[in-house]
Amino acid sequence: MSENMKSILSLLIFPGGLAVMAAGMIYEYIDRKLVARFQNRVGPRWFQPLADFIKLLAKEEVIPEGIHPVLFQWLPVVAIAGALTSALYVPMFGVEPAFHFTGDLVVTIYLLSILTLCTGLAGANVANRFSIIGATRTLTQLFSYEAPFLLALFGPAIAAGSWDIAVIEQYATSHPWLMVFQPIGFLVALIGLMGKLELPPFDAPEAETEIVSGALTEYSGRGYALFRLGRSVELVIGLTLVAAFYLGGVANPLLFLAKTLGLLLIIAALQSLFARLRIDQTVGLWWRSGAVLVLLQLLVLIALKYFGVAI
Amino acid sequence: MPETKHGDKFIVPIGPQHPALKEPGHFEFTVDGETVTGASVRLGFVHRGIEKAAEERTYIQDLYLLERICGICSHVHAMAFALGVEKLAGVTVPERAQAIRVLVAEMERIHSHLLWLGVAAHEAGFDTLFMYAWRDREKVMDLLEQLCGNRVNYSINVLGGVKEDVNDVIRDGILSAMDYLETRTVLYLKLVTTERTLIGRTRGIGIMEKQTAARLGTVGPTARASGLERDIRLEAPYAAYLQYPARIVTEQTGDLEARFIVRVKELYESFRLIRGILSTLPGGELTTKMPRRIPEGETISRVEAPRGELFYYIKSNGSDKPDRVKVRTPSINNFASVMATAVGHKLADIPMILSGIDPCFSCNDRMVSIRGSEGQQAVDWEELRLYGIEYYR
Amino acid sequence: MKIGSLIGDILKSFFKKPATILYPVERIHAPERYRGQLFWEPEKCSGCQLCVKDCPSNAIELIVLDKVNKRFVMRYDKDKCTYCAQCVASCRFACLNMNSDQWELASLRKEPFTVYYGKDEDVSFLLAERAATSHLHSTE
Repeated sequence: MSENMKSILSLLIFPGGLAVMAAGMIYEYIDRKLVARFQNRVGPRWFQPLADFIKLLAKEEVIPEGIHPVLFQWLPVVAIAGALTSALYVPMFGVEPAFHFTGDLVVTIYLLSILTLCTGLAGANVANRFSIIGATRTLTQLFSYEAPFLLALFGPAIAAGSWDIAVIEQYATSHPWLMVFQPIGFLVALIGLMGKLELPPFDAPEAETEIVSGALTEYSGRGYALFRLGRSVELVIGLTLVAAFYLGGVANPLLFLAKTLGLLLIIAALQSLFARLRIDQTVGLWWRSGAVLVLLQLLVLIALKYFGVAI
Repeated sequence: MPETKHGDKFIVPIGPQHPALKEPGHFEFTVDGETVTGASVRLGFVHRGIEKAAEERTYIQDLYLLERICGICSHVHAMAFALGVEKLAGVTVPERAQAIRVLVAEMERIHSHLLWLGVAAHEAGFDTLFMYAWRDREKVMDLLEQLCGNRVNYSINVLGGVKEDVNDVIRDGILSAMDYLETRTVLYLKLVTTERTLIGRTRGIGIMEKQTAARLGTVGPTARASGLERDIRLEAPYAAYLQYPARIVTEQTGDLEARFIVRVKELYESFRLIRGILSTLPGGELTTKMPRRIPEGETISRVEAPRGELFYYIKSNGSDKPDRVKVRTPSINNFASVMATAVGHKLADIPMILSGIDPCFSCNDRMVSIRGSEGQQAVDWEELRLYGIEYYR
Repeated sequence: MKIGSLIGDILKSFFKKPATILYPVERIHAPERYRGQLFWEPEKCSGCQLCVKDCPSNAIELIVLDKVNKRFVMRYDKDKCTYCAQCVASCRFACLNMNSDQWELASLRKEPFTVYYGKDEDVSFLLAERAATSHLHSTE
């Protein structure tokens, strides 16, 4: 009974569920505020993401004609469920992951991709031309960053010799920061995270000046709110993963805050530095440089491991 | 939108309401994947009947009506009209008034080009440049407010001169702001010529050859970016441009990057002109006596608006109201170039190409053409009235 | 070719105060020449009606109560006014001016947009007369 109770608590309240949602909104606020300050603007007030969320929930959800209504309504739910589930295997807030098993790294990465997949499907489901183009771009982008991002997170896994996030995190805590030894992996993971979250300059799938709001053009109300929240949640989880793997682990809540916020600062600066990449430029960037470089690094790591060099 | 395909074509409609457009216009781009294979445009959503309205008002009232044709280049419209009416009346405007008109026109050019830089950066997804350019544009807006009393429709012209004078405080304010803006412009020029992500979106995009630019009759910075030396300030100097000659800025490549460079470099030219005017501002009166009834006759008046040549035709019948005012704004000349250059580019480049000519939709919309089954047809006033009654029945 | 050339600027902006003015909380003074609400001084007016004739938006009306004794009332519609100051330029006796302090003219109701200028007794006379005629119309 107590075991079940603990599971439900960790699923719904902490570290998954409500706590991650709240953290997502806070991180979204910090991100927006930082970008605004980089642009010499004032930026939103602290409750803005919450206010947006409540406002969207209160709005009518318009279900367009000529679509699969069940798919239209349930895709956002699946998307946010995927994001929230992945939080259970990640050392959120500097506490031990709620669950762990061998190979949960791979599961987590795929759970994180569900959101993007659902966005793509949601765009392809409706008959709006902007949505369809947005969906195409979303899925194209998914195929371009996913492999390098995966490989970038495999770097620390190979160094630690485990596929278990908790074990890798312990390894990272007890060793010098991995970003020093695997700088390419760190960069690819961080930029891959920006691609995953469709942040500028990788926001071609939802470029408002071209295709309105991309795959989510037809969404309003609850569905849109859930997609947005899912993205905020992924921001926190992604930052935690990168901090846990490359920045020497997140052993306690204080370290968690310092490291993830530091990463967020870098991400916000990168968001305000560049012009948007065209989708062909994004794909080119990832496959020509990102994937090749991270693959090289991985091969070197494997070779070192094979020859028994301590890393 | 239940039907997405028209035959074998996949058409992406942009407008009349679309986040890329700040004003209504309708574009249909036929795409194959991400590549554009055809483009068409439909304008006329913001036709306001200003030319007809101008015939119902006196010359003085028209000055303010015509100023509202364009919200960004309001001063040049009023100036073009005033210059034309003064020519018809045979009135010589004091030198000081002419110099102040040119001063305001150049400040307006700075504000318009900075606004464009921001909009173009936003279309490229570069919001930081957008915010910075508009923040700096605010300096010029404040100066214009200080000098003229209004931020958008400055209304500094009267027939026969200007309303407000430049005093020492305002002169010092303008000069120090010009110094600040010049340092910022250095940065912007560096940015548009060296920033890799931006160049990736501008270099080699929307190339228009010199011949094409000439054939399509483009004007202003769009033409100058293709190497065409077209600038009314030099070809037919008006107001005080004879005393303060402008230098032409051209680029040869004709792509989007060239349009960025031409507009940013023209900012330098405006700074130089403004400094020149302020250091040697001629003395004298601000206004001269102007008759209320303008002698019979007709005239044309051409000025260089920030977007290119602005053309006014004014016909007087001897009363205090014009018989006919015909306006041709620069955007209408440049629109054909969008349609000509869009084909073959990526869909993502289209908003960039579109904003590259700095379009002003409400300026354009001054013609009625009805697409009937027998093609284009012209309608006269009475037919149009009947059509309207029938339409709204 | 460089990448991220704005890095210096965004770092500077990060530590600088935002350029935005938080308007209703923080107010800046309008410049001296700013064109706000129009004011009319009845003493100097000769009743030539040039301002009314030149107004591009019919925002002003000079109501003549008694031409010989120069009793005028000016009706001014702030919502119709385009703040071009042509009336100020047209007036030969400098009895019109636009106040640079009075520019926050928004209102939720229509009534405050119409103001009557003139000597107090003239304005009250005019308004009383108008009220009487409108009452007459309504009883008919």
